Amino acid sequence: MIEHILRIPWHVPFGGFSLRLDPLSVIFLAAVVILVVCAGIYGIGYMRQYKGKKPLGLHWFFYGLLFAALVLIVTANNVILFLGAWEVMAIAAYFLIVFQDGELSVRRAGFIYLVATHCGTFCLFLMFFLLAHAAGSMDFGVIAATNFSPLLAGTVFSLAIIGFGVKAGFMPMHLWLPHAHPAAPAHISALMSGVAIKTGIYGICRVLWMVGVLPDWCGYALLAIGIVSGVMGVLYALGQHELKRLLAYHSIENIGIIAVGLGIGLIGRAQHLPFLAVLGFGGALLHVLNHSLFKGLLFLGAGAVIKQTHTGEMDRMGGLAKPMPVTSALFLVGALAICGLPLFNGFISEFIIYYGLFQGLFTLPLPGVFSCAVGILALALMGALALACFTKVYGTVFCGRPRDPEIMVKREELAPAMAGPMIVLAGLCVWIGLSPRFAAGMVFSGGEYLARTGQAAVNPDRILIPLSAVIGGAFIFCALAAVLAAIRRMLVKPSPVQETWSCAFPQVTPRFQYTSSSFARPIVEFVKGLLLFRRQGGKVEGAFPGKSQMSSSVHDAVEENLFRLLFVRFTDISRKFDAKRIRYTQIYLLYIFLFLIFLLVWKLR
Amino acid sequence: MKNVMLTIFFHWVIVLALAPLFVGVIAKVKAMFAGKKGAPVVQPYFELARLFRKQCVYSRTTTWIFRASPIVGFGAVLLFALLLPLGVCKAPMRFSGDILLAAYILALARFFMITAALDTGNSFEGMGSSREAFFSCLSELALFMNFITLAIMTRSISFSRMIGADVPLSWPHSNPVLLLVVASLFIVLLAENCRIPVDDPDTHLELTMIHEVMILDHSGVDLAYLLYAGAVKLFLFAGIIVPLLIPFRTGDPVKDMAVFLAGMLGMAVFIGAVESSMARLRLNRVRNLLLIAAALAFFGFVVALWRGGA
Repeated sequence: MIEHILRIPWHVPFGGFSLRLDPLSVIFLAAVVILVVCAGIYGIGYMRQYKGKKPLGLHWFFYGLLFAALVLIVTANNVILFLGAWEVMAIAAYFLIVFQDGELSVRRAGFIYLVATHCGTFCLFLMFFLLAHAAGSMDFGVIAATNFSPLLAGTVFSLAIIGFGVKAGFMPMHLWLPHAHPAAPAHISALMSGVAIKTGIYGICRVLWMVGVLPDWCGYALLAIGIVSGVMGVLYALGQHELKRLLAYHSIENIGIIAVGLGIGLIGRAQHLPFLAVLGFGGALLHVLNHSLFKGLLFLGAGAVIKQTHTGEMDRMGGLAKPMPVTSALFLVGALAICGLPLFNGFISEFIIYYGLFQGLFTLPLPGVFSCAVGILALALMGALALACFTKVYGTVFCGRPRDPEIMVKREELAPAMAGPMIVLAGLCVWIGLSPRFAAGMVFSGGEYLARTGQAAVNPDRILIPLSAVIGGAFIFCALAAVLAAIRRMLVKPSPVQETWSCAFPQVTPRFQYTSSSFARPIVEFVKGLLLFRRQGGKVEGAFPGKSQMSSSVHDAVEENLFRLLFVRFTDISRKFDAKRIRYTQIYLLYIFLFLIFLLVWKLR
Repeated sequence: MKNVMLTIFFHWVIVLALAPLFVGVIAKVKAMFAGKKGAPVVQPYFELARLFRKQCVYSRTTTWIFRASPIVGFGAVLLFALLLPLGVCKAPMRFSGDILLAAYILALARFFMITAALDTGNSFEGMGSSREAFFSCLSELALFMNFITLAIMTRSISFSRMIGADVPLSWPHSNPVLLLVVASLFIVLLAENCRIPVDDPDTHLELTMIHEVMILDHSGVDLAYLLYAGAVKLFLFAGIIVPLLIPFRTGDPVKDMAVFLAGMLGMAVFIGAVESSMARLRLNRVRNLLLIAAALAFFGFVVALWRGGA
């Protein structure tokens, strides 16, 4: 195994400044470095609009702090170091999110994030305590070499799913994501969605690696969580009207895809099927990398759009491809990649995960076959829904005619600092999509490392040969498109330009166009039992109806039906204790003093 | 290498030559059911030739994506053609997992088709694209369910084994799985290729329009590409179902090919008969039809598992 471990003396109780670089951390480190650098350069251009109005120095200080914390998290080899970096990341991210702290919604989003992340961290403390207690050491390497009882392993797994799942955004714990992402500046959203939530995935991977033998149900549980997060995430995304909120829900979908990959890998590992395990883990890790590339690209593109239009409401935009040709083309690359379409990187990772699920159909026992079938169907459904979602986004934002006359969009003058990072990210998406050998090699060694198999146990050609055939198909497609374009160029006469044919209706205004809400309505109404889909107004009454209004929106069922009730209950309970509160600080101090004396006496005895 | 190029070329020639005929046969059958004489079966060729000679008209609203959509659409079905065996002609590209490439390259075409429709800024086309996006979710579900069943039966995820090999030979053993798979795939075919009862290929000015309205603004060569792509896609979907229906092999390649082509002709007649004898469904019924397709496929999966286990 290729592991590099660096130890530096560090005088913290139980701590040790120990870093590790192994095939697992390399992948996450690559994602962190690429995205932090790209988003940082973009941020220089993006934050120019706030120059002199906001303390930018503070912003960049926390940006650097977040970078350091992210690097430490994915390389830490010690529980204390890891948890310290984890907290620093949470705090730094909080200050980055609340950059526009003049707005109430932003402060609220920051607060929700802070509460959520600490609820998760609480579980992590418990989990790491259990692990370190059983292993007798805080060192990751020592913990990994320990054998755990099935009960402990199952408990640790559950705590990891909750604790890291909050950060990653698994479906019932995703609450902070759709609030925090739209609140933050664009490059911070890109960073949060691209890598910060991936630290949750990294944590789960690290636990899967440390606890080598997990009970059988763990893999199925992870698969189920992935399916629920994926399908529900994309359904919620379809219902959104705000661009960055939509992208945030879409991150939940992609986290779901990653969890499906990890789940199938874990099932394969538990059943001693190394090929299945490597496919699942490898596909998931590649999707981690891919998602950070294209979701970063999409958030940066959304930032460029919002900077021009000063709104995130998609239904007020339209026709932006004309004034913003560069942004629209780059956004399209991101959209095609996130839908998992061939030629782009999303397809490669989804192909590997699909391949793993189909392998599972052939090799697993009956429950596994059923789970794999459901997984395949869920992936297919997610793919089709993601396509609906991103045709909606691209179609309403960049296509058609401007919907709102108040939004005047000048011809874009995209600063090189903003265009450059987006071009780099788009280039990487296409590069992995058309020549995945390097990235696939990297993630498969990560997959083997997680699967705990030797390198000889799996013949990588079994997946690399189909992959290269896929790439061959992609190139044939490109050649075909070039030939067809050439034929058209040969045949087409100088083409007259007209208005869109409106089926002979003379007075068409831009408000006739389908909006993002009307585009998504058939799907959202079809599943309104799962989402909270609300319509207001729009009833036509009487023979001569007057002016009327209609609005529709999708609300988060988890937020409204679960957490809101939960917090109301908490508030009730704490209000009961409120009456018995002591109003003098001195008495509290006295209690603390008495307790200390009690402890001393108890210890002396 | 030269051999491979030749097979690829030959495959394309078959598909491109026969696909419009397939559409022509369907139209002829529909005309005969309606008591009309109908256009000759070669009419689609004339239509395509006419469109190839025409000018393209573009709307001021559209951008390059509107022009790219026909090219992507046609390129995608031509790539799909290479992944599918046609009778005795083996698929020029066959590898484990080619069904995924096929499904997703068609999705790429759909992406461009939908965005191109939205690019015109026309509410009718928006309507069509919204419905296309919705119904394709459900038909994708049914399609993949069938893929799973066929994969379990053949232990393979390549078209060449899943429909090309010995699966259909199990018909005589009264295998109910194939019946369910074929029925389900046939509904998917109708939905994906905008046939009655899901969509009407002959009109776009109705409240139930889907596909035809999305290409309302295309003209000239662009429209020719789109129509040709539609014909090829229909032909290829029929090319998935027909091999599953032929329960014997003669052993002679010429005879086998003749049987396959006769099967395709029969499928065209059958599609025409279905289209003539049914009314188009109300829009909110279409999703039920597609869910029925998914349910049939699911029963096929359960039976396949049960038989495999027994």
